[in-house]
Amino acid sequence: MPEPKKLIGEDGRRLDGRRWDELRPISLEVGVLKNADGSAYINWGKNKIMAAVYGPKEVHPKHQVLPDRALLRTRYHMAPFSVDERKNPAPSRREIEISKVIREALVPAVLVEDYPRTAIEVWVEVLQSDGGSRVAGITAASLALADAGINMRDLVVGCSCGIIDSTVVADLDDTEDKEGSGDMPVAIMPNLNQVTLLQVDGIYTRENFQKAFELAIAKGREVYSMQRDALAKRFFSGEPQPMEESA
Amino acid sequence: MPMVQRKQVIPGDVIATGNHRYGSYIEKRGDEYVALRIGLAEVGPDGVKLNPLTGPYLPRAEDQVIGKVVDINGFGWVVDINSCFDGFLPASFVFGREFSPATHDLSSKFKVGDVIGARIESFDRSRDPQLSIRGEGYGKFPEGEIIKMSPTKVPRLIGRRGAMVNFISERTGCDVKVGQNGVVVIVGPPEGMAKATAVVKMIDQGTHGADLMGKVEEYLGGSSVAGA
Amino acid sequence: MSMKKNYVVETIRKAQMLELLNRGKRVDERALDQHREITVQTGVIQKANGSAIVTLGDSQVLAGVKIATGAPFPDTPDKGLLVVNAEILPLASPYAEPGPPSEEAIELARVVDRGIRESEMVDLHKLCIVEGKTVYTVFVDVNIMNVDGNLFDATSYAVVCALRTAKMKKYAIENDKVVMKDEETPVPVEKTPVSVTLARFGDKLVVDPNGEEEGAMDMRITITTDDDGNVCASQKGEASTITPAQVLEAADTSIRIGREIRAQLVEATKS
Repeated sequence: MPEPKKLIGEDGRRLDGRRWDELRPISLEVGVLKNADGSAYINWGKNKIMAAVYGPKEVHPKHQVLPDRALLRTRYHMAPFSVDERKNPAPSRREIEISKVIREALVPAVLVEDYPRTAIEVWVEVLQSDGGSRVAGITAASLALADAGINMRDLVVGCSCGIIDSTVVADLDDTEDKEGSGDMPVAIMPNLNQVTLLQVDGIYTRENFQKAFELAIAKGREVYSMQRDALAKRFFSGEPQPMEESA
Repeated sequence: MPMVQRKQVIPGDVIATGNHRYGSYIEKRGDEYVALRIGLAEVGPDGVKLNPLTGPYLPRAEDQVIGKVVDINGFGWVVDINSCFDGFLPASFVFGREFSPATHDLSSKFKVGDVIGARIESFDRSRDPQLSIRGEGYGKFPEGEIIKMSPTKVPRLIGRRGAMVNFISERTGCDVKVGQNGVVVIVGPPEGMAKATAVVKMIDQGTHGADLMGKVEEYLGGSSVAGA
Repeated sequence: MSMKKNYVVETIRKAQMLELLNRGKRVDERALDQHREITVQTGVIQKANGSAIVTLGDSQVLAGVKIATGAPFPDTPDKGLLVVNAEILPLASPYAEPGPPSEEAIELARVVDRGIRESEMVDLHKLCIVEGKTVYTVFVDVNIMNVDGNLFDATSYAVVCALRTAKMKKYAIENDKVVMKDEETPVPVEKTPVSVTLARFGDKLVVDPNGEEEGAMDMRITITTDDDGNVCASQKGEASTITPAQVLEAADTSIRIGREIRAQLVEATKS
């Protein structure tokens, strides 16, 4: 059996120089697409992901109308050039599954009951993919929903943790995801302290399972503060905002 | 002056705790009042309020709206009111009780494409909002510049008790009709219309601070078209 | 196809369920951490290399294994192929329809596949015949025959039982060519992963929800564990949430219940 590639060096640093619990660089921008009701763009490591929200709008086809709440549609889609080998643009089984878990991660935050008989569409387009693209997509999609002014209980933010060289680490990149021995994407509503997405693969002792899970939540909270900053930049531009003229 | 606390909030933020009256876009969780929108929150003697900075127009009964006729059926007009729900203006509200689809020609009154001002008569979660044009200032707008703006910025365009919109009217010599659904129609002399349009767009796009009136005054200042 | 989407549980029935749960009971009189009866029949399809019909309560699934040889993936030249797929047959429920696999069916297949793959149940290196050229390809296809909740666990058990009893042809290399023999050898099974699904109702977690419970639950969480009590796959499902503490509680329950079920599956498939 070939010796597995070393992903953590003697100095405790990972291949890209990060410590075990360090995030890759992340940047977020809100309100980037003119046509969309809400949008956000995220750079997370090499991930480049655009999220757009349309709606609430009329439901087509009509038979999908929900009488008491909005229908939230999600599509996670990877551009053909987003990966090393060209990806067939038709949705793969992986993308269909991820679209479903992303929807189930976002719906708990949205007051869908405030928009009966309508559709709210969330499009997540991966322009370049790296490890953790689904949690990056969720992080951007939740900002796009807030930007669209959809009533939300909380933002949703994600981070993935996993195991490389038998060590629990935060925020796996592409190589670590492929060569490592486990990936655990987690999404939370940080104020409500609720988990809205959890997927696990790899082999985790009970102790490592808890360590990776709790690390993913803690790192998600770090990303949450970046989400806040991105919204403040878009909407508050640092000015104090008294409202004398409000009717 | 009673103290009013103000803060910038995003969904999930706690605006206040305790026992208060509270308005739209706020959810009460235990004794916490939580924001559901990005916006500017106020806590004062009137309770907890949230003025959202973004969001779609959702119809409410009694709202004054401006819309365009997009369809006519046997019983009334379907009106796009810049919302996910189309408004419906029943023909009987216009022709009266003696309305009969056989004798009245609906398109003689409003055609597809016509812009009308209306009031939302009723709206519940199961049916599209019903419109009425009874009352002064409603009905067809035959001319003017039509502008769409964010519905969340409409209160700023109107101003306290109409101060802002009246000021713009006065300085530009235009009639500025504001729909709470974020549709504005401006009628008046051409130079005045251009000025008024620019001011509406400025209010829509900016994240203005306290002295919005000052900024508008500065913009319209020396160039009063109406000679006000 | 999911029971949840189409199967509406009466409000009073749901209220009854919640009331019972508060007293530690369930509608079918099970304990909160008790799974339904599991039955296993192996070797039911002669033309398959391995097969099993598993019932979990009234959910019934049939897994069949077909083994051939083929080229490995370029990035894993020394590993055989193992692919798990599942289809919810139109005959399985009044709500199931023919056509391309639904989102639910795709999720089901991928979650079960993940549990089998990540646990390293089958030693894929031992499926390599000539590195970079020829490997065994193991396809496990699952037909859902009757739906009554918790297809994730029922499907996973059927796959495990079919693989544990599957046999593949031995090979020899003659004149640089791979020649298949008539003799057979078991598929190199190293572990027995066990999937345990819990449904959340408010602050209660129950093991192995039946169809009616799935119709009323807030959400579900599936956790697959291996022989050493390691977690090797998990999936949260449905548009609701779970607290961090409940996730850890679910992990402990899955490890504990998984141990019992593993013993039963091993017993039912020993040669």
